Amino acid sequence: MLPWLQNKVIIEDYLFNKKIKMEGVTIMGESHEKNIDPVTLGVIAGSLNAIAKEMALVLYRMAYSSIIRESEDLGAGLFDEDGNELCESDSSPMHIGSLPGYIAGVKHFLKDDIQDGDVILHNNPYYGASHTPDLAVIVPIFYKDKLVAYAANTGHVLDVGGMSPGLMVDVVDVFAEGKHYNALKLYSKGVKNEEIWKHVLENVRTPKENKGDIEAMIASARLGRKRYLELIERYDLETLKSAERRWMDYSEQMLRKEIEKLPDGIYKAPTGWLDDDGRNYGVPLRIETSLEIRGSEIIVDLTGSSPQVETGYNVPFSGSTLPAIYTIVRSILLDEANSEVFVPQNSGIFRPIKVIAPLGTIFNPRFPASCFARFNQVNRLADQVNLAFSQILPTKTTAGNSAHIHANSYAGVNPDSGSYWISIEINEGSYGGRYGKDGLDGVDTLVANTRNNPVEELEMRTPMRCHRYELREEEPAAGKWRGGIGIAREWEFFTNTLFTGEGDRHYDPPKGVRGGRDGETGALVLNRRTENEKNLHAKVTNYKINAGDTLLIKTPSAGGYGNPFERIPEDVLEDVLDQYISLETARDVYGVVINSEGKLDLSATSELRSNMEKEQVTN
Amino acid sequence: MKIGVDVGGTFTDLILSDTHGGRAIVHKVPSTPKDPSEAVIKGVFEICEMANIHPGQIEQFFHGTTVATNIVLEHNGASVGMLTTEGFRDVLHIARHKRPYNFSLYQDLPWQKYPLVRRRNRLVVSERITAEGEVLLPLDEEKTREHVRKLKEAKVDAIAVCFLFSFKNPQHENRVKEIILEEYPEVFLSISNEVLPQYREYERFSTVALNAFIGPKTSNYIKKLKKNLEDMGVKSELHLMQSNGGIATSEMAAEKPINLLLSGPVAGLIGGIKAAQNAGFSNVITLDIGGTSADIGVAPGGEMRMRHLLDTRIGQYNAMIPMVDIDTIGAGGGSIAYVDEGGIFRVGPQSAGADPGPACYNRGGTLPTSTDANVLLGRIRGENRLAGSMELKPELSEKVYKEHIAEKLNINVLDAAAGALKIMTHNMVNAIEMNSVRKGYDPREFTLVAAGGAGPLFACDIAEELNIPYVVVPPFPGITAAIGLLGTDITYEQVSTVWSSFKIGNIEKLRQEFARLEEQAISSLKADGISEDKIILKRVCDCRYEGQGYELRVEAPTGEINEEWAEEVVNSFHAVHEREYASKFEDQEVMAINIRLIGIGIVTNESSLVPQPQTLEFNPKKVKKAPVYFWVNDQLEEVETSFYHRSDIPNGTTLTGPAIIQQKDSTTVIPPLCKALFDEYGNIVIDMQDKNASKNLKNVAMVTK
Repeated sequence: MLPWLQNKVIIEDYLFNKKIKMEGVTIMGESHEKNIDPVTLGVIAGSLNAIAKEMALVLYRMAYSSIIRESEDLGAGLFDEDGNELCESDSSPMHIGSLPGYIAGVKHFLKDDIQDGDVILHNNPYYGASHTPDLAVIVPIFYKDKLVAYAANTGHVLDVGGMSPGLMVDVVDVFAEGKHYNALKLYSKGVKNEEIWKHVLENVRTPKENKGDIEAMIASARLGRKRYLELIERYDLETLKSAERRWMDYSEQMLRKEIEKLPDGIYKAPTGWLDDDGRNYGVPLRIETSLEIRGSEIIVDLTGSSPQVETGYNVPFSGSTLPAIYTIVRSILLDEANSEVFVPQNSGIFRPIKVIAPLGTIFNPRFPASCFARFNQVNRLADQVNLAFSQILPTKTTAGNSAHIHANSYAGVNPDSGSYWISIEINEGSYGGRYGKDGLDGVDTLVANTRNNPVEELEMRTPMRCHRYELREEEPAAGKWRGGIGIAREWEFFTNTLFTGEGDRHYDPPKGVRGGRDGETGALVLNRRTENEKNLHAKVTNYKINAGDTLLIKTPSAGGYGNPFERIPEDVLEDVLDQYISLETARDVYGVVINSEGKLDLSATSELRSNMEKEQVTN
Repeated sequence: MKIGVDVGGTFTDLILSDTHGGRAIVHKVPSTPKDPSEAVIKGVFEICEMANIHPGQIEQFFHGTTVATNIVLEHNGASVGMLTTEGFRDVLHIARHKRPYNFSLYQDLPWQKYPLVRRRNRLVVSERITAEGEVLLPLDEEKTREHVRKLKEAKVDAIAVCFLFSFKNPQHENRVKEIILEEYPEVFLSISNEVLPQYREYERFSTVALNAFIGPKTSNYIKKLKKNLEDMGVKSELHLMQSNGGIATSEMAAEKPINLLLSGPVAGLIGGIKAAQNAGFSNVITLDIGGTSADIGVAPGGEMRMRHLLDTRIGQYNAMIPMVDIDTIGAGGGSIAYVDEGGIFRVGPQSAGADPGPACYNRGGTLPTSTDANVLLGRIRGENRLAGSMELKPELSEKVYKEHIAEKLNINVLDAAAGALKIMTHNMVNAIEMNSVRKGYDPREFTLVAAGGAGPLFACDIAEELNIPYVVVPPFPGITAAIGLLGTDITYEQVSTVWSSFKIGNIEKLRQEFARLEEQAISSLKADGISEDKIILKRVCDCRYEGQGYELRVEAPTGEINEEWAEEVVNSFHAVHEREYASKFEDQEVMAINIRLIGIGIVTNESSLVPQPQTLEFNPKKVKKAPVYFWVNDQLEEVETSFYHRSDIPNGTTLTGPAIIQQKDSTTVIPPLCKALFDEYGNIVIDMQDKNASKNLKNVAMVTK
């Protein structure tokens, strides 16, 4: 059915004009393009977004492992027959931007053998996957015997049977990471492939959870297929396809408009340093980031970054490097909170962005290097792009962000049942100070956006007790707008526990910008304030924690933005009252004088500030 | 006599109904946001005069209020202090560490930018209860006392007490309460195990802090209103509408104002259900469209559904309390139509609100709104005075649609206006689908109740899209919530976190826990003066498969709690899971995480509105005719249409569209092919079946072509 405006010549003219304007940057103008009225266009976009949201909802509410259901470490969406992303759920940004790559991987393995009723499982990081534990379930959508689209999702499962339960960093190659499911069909033409299911579930440490998660992923993908077919019935295939292309063009066009506003040129971020590769401690890894603006395109060049490493601390190129860069460019140029209109997230956003990472480097490793532990690097990469942009977009970028994660896995064997318990925890960070605003405290940053697990849930499920979960006590990085504050979390373990830490930033603190101070590095401390106190590296694999031990995790605090002397004195007082900073810091760092009654002394403040500024100049 | 008073943002609506069969009188007075009780008192006074009764003759008083909601939305609540477990000072500040937007560096985290409790007032004391409910660390009473004094000095108006695992063992929280009562008896108290003895610390702390934040103002409002009503001679108890669809006594509401947050919209849904029931329908979808937003509720079998616990929030704050599932979207009479930078035609969620309002109001509005579109299509006539007071200027509507839409899209003004309405209609269709089809309910088996000033303008177009066979427009669409207030009962919901399977060994525990909750509910209801024969008890289990993380609400049978009972609950859970997620796992263990006991004290009699005989005569000669634009065979066509005043049409009349029914605060659009019956309850019941069939026939023709 075509709506009421279908035959109006005026509308065709309108779209035709638009097409001409957009020529050269889009795929529009192809001969099979069907004209579509503006009302139907809006209506279809609304439906696509609602479907992605609904798919994600089913997935995380049904799922078994806490990393999917509580952390929402998942993605879901619809994709066209070529694997272009049409819509994505607002779960973790890292996931969904990766699905076009998974679909390409599936096509590589299956060629034309993609049939109606198939349910495909895939996780090979050299063929599109984000990393091995991020399984994807992909359901092809057929209409009148023709493949017209895909419904797909990804979810981080607790275990894929590698050398270590849960997470791992120091791992020899991609085969040791876990099982690879190269486009395996869980269902072939609608028939369940029991042998494959057995293979998939019998070779992991958490078969029950994986089964529940995979079932939830299938339910979600099948729901996506059902909804998409309903859309075809409602609007007809041709209309839907035109609308899809138009929306991808729209998102592309909106991003290009923003890029065009920027001065052409090459902008470099300061060199960033990752701690190490998780085996060769003390050997930092370089990140070089250059950003080129060329007309309406952006080229991000990572040449000069560290060669690939011998552990699992490499980054799959299409599954992780690309999504990270797409995410940060979009976040800066089409900031959702500041945009008046909703620009849908789809493959159109990817088109104006090119990424160069030479093969054999940490951001584009050569097979069979392991690339299990990649999140710190990509989050850091996003921050590097932010810092490069900072030179030309001071009001849309932030000071250095925590730009890490401390992903921890805790595992053990239940002595009664002989089965594994595994708990994966994502420890959040903080945002750098921003133009006109302080940084955000205790929050997942940049490419990560998971949810924490309730302490009251974890303690009822795992042999651990939480003694602390709050903002860390060190003062935030000073600035006209202060940096965000990381968190401190401390666990006590009741049984011997295998601990893997996938973290970073114990050495290179988040950068302050425009006179703002640098932030704080992170830390892992075993048995704090006891004789056995010990600092751990950010990355450890299968570290044995004994019953009765405690582990303190501190995540980085982000950098400050602008000169602390320019911070509004009232805001400094508020920070003192809220016990973020001491009276001494207010005086010595911010030049703000607070009298014995806890009130601001403004004249003393301006005097102190001007004296301190003079002193700085003389120094 | 009983009275329902619903305080909205713009108007305070009242309905006075004779309990012994007879008439109902409705009235509307402007709300007084500074002190909402002023408008209530004024309205009650005036409606009593209109009915010629003394306020003392009011036997029952039901009240719905947005006081609590507005405090949250405007963030002007109390200064709150909090005492919490050492090591967990920033639970409210970190929340679930997930930011609202994926793609944004400049977003704010509402819980950090607008904290319910400022950090300086979040004080920690040494204490710890384990996950098993044992005392690991004793409460530091001295420190507690010191902190309470500190908070008193800081002049907080309310104190929230939130300790980890207090739902397992409340002794520390209870001791803190005693200490506060000794040190600072006048402060408003919100104790986590009393407000919400349920696991998930962030959600619980947030709920308890929110209760403290709205507590002092809300309870003062309730007390003041009660006193003013008493002063004017009202003798009956004051009953308030709660978010869970039941009503509370004023004492109960003043203690846990958190339960009042959805007061208004819930009453609207209940009013809609009642209207549909009077018209003979039980499956109900309600659509209440006001100036800026539309509330959508779905009630299969006339039963309200409860919202999933992850979705129970108000504004940006989590409030883990039972809430009726009502979806609100930004679509209303003031919604603004525009063409964005990328050339996309959009409507809302920005709204011109009541001030400056739509362009046609001629009060300075310069942007095209949905009301302007209705004016351009002839559905709202310039000479019909909206809300009885305002003259409309259609030429202004034309000007803004031309400038902002038609010229930009190179289409004519009428197509622009029709397009804006189509987009809005679709937004609402989408929202209804999310809450019906996608939860396993077929809209073709439902009736759409159109409420709010703008609901009846859109209802038939929406029903057509969804193939809904009947639309019901209640007699006073603008005051549906006030009517809903008259149809509710006193409700207590008690909850307990049990984390128990339904295995034989656990049944005794479930039995005891339910018995404990039942006892609590009965004694509360008796304290409210409800006699035993008027008490109904319902059981609910929040269940999930072992290993999952989120529960679904399952109704549990009454009667003895034994193996059969457990099996029945487990089976219902499988069914609910299948409805919600399209799958079930019968081989998996089912866990009851929380159990709930709902105690209902019946205070209403069967029907709040009785059919009214009418002596009016229908005089078709009085009918005015004017051209209105409708979609006919997917084309926008001008159709000569009859305009009626609702008060001129006697009950029992049938009309066939096209017709426009005007009344004081609402306009009903009846498109061609739709048949309207004016029933004895004053409802307009619109039969959509011919209209829907014609559309479906056409679709079949197009598909086969």
